[in-house]
Amino acid sequence: MAEAAERHGTSDPTRRVVLAAAATSSLLLAGCKGIRALGPPPGLSPDVVTLEHAITAEELMVSTYSSALTALAGDAKAGQVLARVLAEHGAHLGALRSRLILPHRTASATPRPSPVAPAMPADRQQVLARLAAAEQAAVTRLTGQLRDVPAALAQLMASISASEAAHLVFLHQAGLTR
Amino acid sequence: MSRAAQNEAAKIAALQQALAAEQAASYGYGVVGAHLAGARYLQAAADCVAHDRARDRLTRLLIALGATPRAAAVAYKLPVTVSTKADAVLLAITLEGEVMAAYLDLVPAADPALRIVAATGMQDAAIRAAGWGGYPQAFPGFAAAH
Repeated sequence: MAEAAERHGTSDPTRRVVLAAAATSSLLLAGCKGIRALGPPPGLSPDVVTLEHAITAEELMVSTYSSALTALAGDAKAGQVLARVLAEHGAHLGALRSRLILPHRTASATPRPSPVAPAMPADRQQVLARLAAAEQAAVTRLTGQLRDVPAALAQLMASISASEAAHLVFLHQAGLTR
Repeated sequence: MSRAAQNEAAKIAALQQALAAEQAASYGYGVVGAHLAGARYLQAAADCVAHDRARDRLTRLLIALGATPRAAAVAYKLPVTVSTKADAVLLAITLEGEVMAAYLDLVPAADPALRIVAATGMQDAAIRAAGWGGYPQAFPGFAAAH
């Protein structure tokens, strides 16, 4: 199976397969007509929009787990599990970000603030239940989104969705009873 | 061969590979269960049934595409030599890893609907692996580097 993975180029989820907004082609087409022929910058492709949604959602997940870790500071067992899962979300975020390369002007025009998770409830079960709901929503969203993106990104999203499905099991191991 | 025929052939080959992984897992869980008792035995039996169902689903998909599903082998060389309970659990986790890798290979060959079959196949395997105490893995299905 390792050979098959190699054949499809699936051996490294973090390699930079670039989904760039199509800025270069319009520059080339503009040729020597001068800067005014460039017109407005091109819009983002649907793939880039999907990837940006996935990145924002993963940022929110990282923020949510960070808040949960603070809220459950006195619970060593849950803390250990949550820290491990948080590290995986960090890896997901890094892999998704590495697939996105925006033209400089788009990237610098609107510095996007990272989403911040809302405050955590005081009750331990409620904290774990909120994390489980976030994981379940992520699995559902990724499963829908990976239908229509390029193959390499679809593989990454499928793998991340599987990892996030496993997180539900870890949350039960951390003490979630529902 | 036309591009469309090539795509179809790649899809069928990837489905056959996923089918082979499910057949091997079904066989392997028989060995897992034989070394366990009580709740863990029941878990192995339930997971074996889950792999049988997935095998049947892939078989139906292949037939619908006009392909002949490859028959299961009589016996499989297991990726883990099992003589203890711990070996049996490790075998279960390893089998799930191989199933995830096969479904990951199906994703690029698949049409949109089949991609969802592949993704849910990976999710189910990841949940079972975690149930067996599989260590968290940020990128299931991809080769070890992570």
